[in-house]
Amino acid sequence: MSYLEYNVKHVPTGFSKIFYMNWALILLLSTVAGIGFLMLYSVAGGSLTPWAEPQMKRFALGLGLMFGVAMVPVYFWRNLAGLAYAVSILLLLVVEIYGVSGMGAQRWIDLRFVRLQPSELTKITLVMLLAAYYDWLDIKKTSRPLWVAIPVLLILLPTLLVLRQPDLGTAILLLAGGGLLMFLAGVHWAYFVAVLSAGAGLVTAVFKSRGTSWQMLKDYQYRRIDTFLDPASDPLGSGYHITQSKIALGSGGWTGRGFMQGTQSRLNFLPEKHTDFIFTTLAEEFGFLGAFSLLVLYALIILFCVVSALKNKDRFGSLVTLGVAATFFLFFAVNMSMVMGLAPVVGVPLPLVSYGGSAMLVLLVGFGLAQSAHVHRPRGRA
Amino acid sequence: MTRTPLRPLARILSARQKGENPDAIERENIRLRHEGMRDRARQRAEGRLLVLALFFFCAFCVVGGRMGLMAASDPSEPRAAASTSRIVAQRADIVDRRGRILATNLQTSSLYAQPPIMIDPQNAAAKLVAIFPDLDEQRLLKDFTGKRKFLWIKKKISPEQQQAVHDIGEPGLLFGPREMRLYPNGKLAAHILGGYGFGREGVYAAEVIGTAGIEKAFDTYLRDPAEEGRPLELSIDLTVQAAVERVLYGGMRLMNAKGAAAVLMDANTGEIVAMASLPDFDPNDRPVPLTTGDQADSPLFNRAVQGVYELGSTFKIFAAAQAMELGLVNPQSMVDANAPMTWGKYKIHEFRGHNYGPLLSVTDVIVKSSNVGTATMAMMIGQKRQREFFTKLGFFDATPVELFEAPGARPLIPKRWSEIVTITTSYGHGMSASPLHLATAYASILNGGTRVTPTLLKRRAPVIGERVVSADVSAAARLMLRQVVTRGTASFGEVPGYAVAGKTGTADKPRPRGGYYNDRVITTFASVFPAHDPKYVLVVSLDEPTETSGPRPRRTAGWTAVPVAAEVIRRTAPLLGLRPEIEPGAVNRLTLTSN
Repeated sequence: MSYLEYNVKHVPTGFSKIFYMNWALILLLSTVAGIGFLMLYSVAGGSLTPWAEPQMKRFALGLGLMFGVAMVPVYFWRNLAGLAYAVSILLLLVVEIYGVSGMGAQRWIDLRFVRLQPSELTKITLVMLLAAYYDWLDIKKTSRPLWVAIPVLLILLPTLLVLRQPDLGTAILLLAGGGLLMFLAGVHWAYFVAVLSAGAGLVTAVFKSRGTSWQMLKDYQYRRIDTFLDPASDPLGSGYHITQSKIALGSGGWTGRGFMQGTQSRLNFLPEKHTDFIFTTLAEEFGFLGAFSLLVLYALIILFCVVSALKNKDRFGSLVTLGVAATFFLFFAVNMSMVMGLAPVVGVPLPLVSYGGSAMLVLLVGFGLAQSAHVHRPRGRA
Repeated sequence: MTRTPLRPLARILSARQKGENPDAIERENIRLRHEGMRDRARQRAEGRLLVLALFFFCAFCVVGGRMGLMAASDPSEPRAAASTSRIVAQRADIVDRRGRILATNLQTSSLYAQPPIMIDPQNAAAKLVAIFPDLDEQRLLKDFTGKRKFLWIKKKISPEQQQAVHDIGEPGLLFGPREMRLYPNGKLAAHILGGYGFGREGVYAAEVIGTAGIEKAFDTYLRDPAEEGRPLELSIDLTVQAAVERVLYGGMRLMNAKGAAAVLMDANTGEIVAMASLPDFDPNDRPVPLTTGDQADSPLFNRAVQGVYELGSTFKIFAAAQAMELGLVNPQSMVDANAPMTWGKYKIHEFRGHNYGPLLSVTDVIVKSSNVGTATMAMMIGQKRQREFFTKLGFFDATPVELFEAPGARPLIPKRWSEIVTITTSYGHGMSASPLHLATAYASILNGGTRVTPTLLKRRAPVIGERVVSADVSAAARLMLRQVVTRGTASFGEVPGYAVAGKTGTADKPRPRGGYYNDRVITTFASVFPAHDPKYVLVVSLDEPTETSGPRPRRTAGWTAVPVAAEVIRRTAPLLGLRPEIEPGAVNRLTLTSN
């Protein structure tokens, strides 16, 4: 569908666009961010510094960006998708080279007010590019091998770069997010079955080979995988976080200890209490009720995105909205499973709640794209 | 897939008849087809979304369910889990062959200061100096009142000192946990263990890294968490090592030597049971390397491995063994030993101008230590075969022993292997090797003739090496060496019950600028015991010994290294589990008292 096919008459213009935005979604996002401020305030021992205040500033900035992005017609972003992707890959290469010469793993570029992690940026640009790709691609060609190979390469390129940093969490998010988008775009399901079963086969082969003559990995590598998959076997080493967060969740009970009453996180048992493991503070202070409410809020955000995408007849708009929703879902699903010991610790923040600039800004820009798609969706008959 | 035609002829004809524009039909059909396609795409997308929604829902349920489960559980510290899993130390222990600790870790504290939060820097500095007299009060005060935000005061302190510092009551003085390496046996096996230092240091922990010896050679292994802190088992026997070091120290003092080295090796496996080098040091407090003078005089220098010396007549047995192996001679063959032997412009002399010639049996060449007789055999063997034999015995390479210093200690070999070199090396001159080289070669020749590889690690299974000489030659060589002790130059080496066999060697020390000293020697005794059933090889080497009990100072190995080695065997053989075998006395002295 090209630019000319939009029915311009029915698209709101100027500042009136604000009224056509998905306000429910904005409200939900703000609520979640508000919970984040409360938690950061509590974790700091009842103080706005050092975390809650900068986080608020960043959220304000992010909200501004979201509105800015939402005001621009969505086809502008679609046309920009290739460039955005190229820039983010370039930035990944820059940190790669810069990090090597700086004798350490540097993942960010300092922009004074925020340290931009190109790997975070890639999450959105990849979604944009894939959505634009499937918008451009003749729908009949979607499942042809060549046209499947191209997006696969587009996903693998940033994934491998991020994996080299090494940032396993982001790599998983990129891979899964890209895969979900391809699935939504309608690539034949046989491809997914093939990839998943090949992956499962490889993993089984690796584990089956253990202790046999054709063992694929060294013994110590297996032991490291063991501790990675089952941190509980090493409660004072790699399993420390999990152990402590389980205690926190358990001590929260159904209703929690009350705001600012958490011990596990406030008493410095958890070094990452304000970032990846902030969910434990929430669970301890507000109990199951609080934690489950956050889960419901997240689910509602996804739901609103999906509804907006379903209403949207523009393929790019709907795919971008779904892609952002999928990324968001992966963020909190991986983080929560990790904190609750359902998945290995890979370093993924709780979206909009964890302290950290890049992830929040990037997610809000992503929701800006979704809003833009919502505002500029084709109305009436194209 | 059947397609509806875009221009169905019937409809177009009928439209034409009615006078309508037939193109509209095509447009209409194209539109319909597009819509159908889009609807299908949309349906599929919705189907996909449904699948994903199901997946999302499952994820929600799992996460939510887990949340409820955990909320319902009682919070409890994972005590059981914590007690079953061992806390793995940062660095694995090193133990001897019987599991006795040679190196372990000790939790101590480090002391550091944060001047910005100090209350009374003056008082703190004064009291710190009272506790640690080696600190400089003025400097501390300058640091405490200056701009520094952080400084280390002591890297490791004892609990007693920690309490004393604690009692100062200064909040700006802080402690951090610090794991240090401890060598509970002090100087014992110092050169083998090496030493440690701190790598990257933090307030909460510091990296312990090996700086020499085994600690450095196995640094990665000792630190590998995948090894789960399994101790490194050495071939050293702590008790034997202690006995060897003590006897060697006494011998060094008695013989007025400035240094000494000893290697006690299992003749069959190559495991080093004890290895000592004097002077030594305490690895807990490793001295700094010398900045001036010869590094070989430093206590850090491992004479047994790093010290390459001309080992003198101890080499003669190699020529005899090879000549026998090649079938050129047998122990009773007579060889030319007319001294002095002239070779081109060189003259080969015997010790103190003796002449054992004109003919001497091979056994007597060894027993009397005849240079000329050995040279004759070397000439029979020839350059090429001699070199090959030395290579087989490991004299041309650094020893493969597992010490950081070992690869750097390469034997000194003449660049050109001329005929005169063949002659001089046969009696141990012109070529230098370490005591460990010598012990390895002796073990290889005398254990029955199979090559051994020296190792400091406990062997779990016997290693059968390449054959160097036949078992018969090996036995014959042992018999010759036994006679060196019973009627030759090493008569002080006799230890009742252990049938010591060995060869002495006395080599003049080379001057730094060429030529040799005539009053400084390296004396060596290389031995194997028991001679009839070779179990252990012992090499003792003394640096510049002088035995002064007689009217004239005596420096030969027979007077210096041999008695020390004999004492070592006397002390260690029972520790090694060898039963003394007293040879039955002569029967003819018995008187039958009854019939």
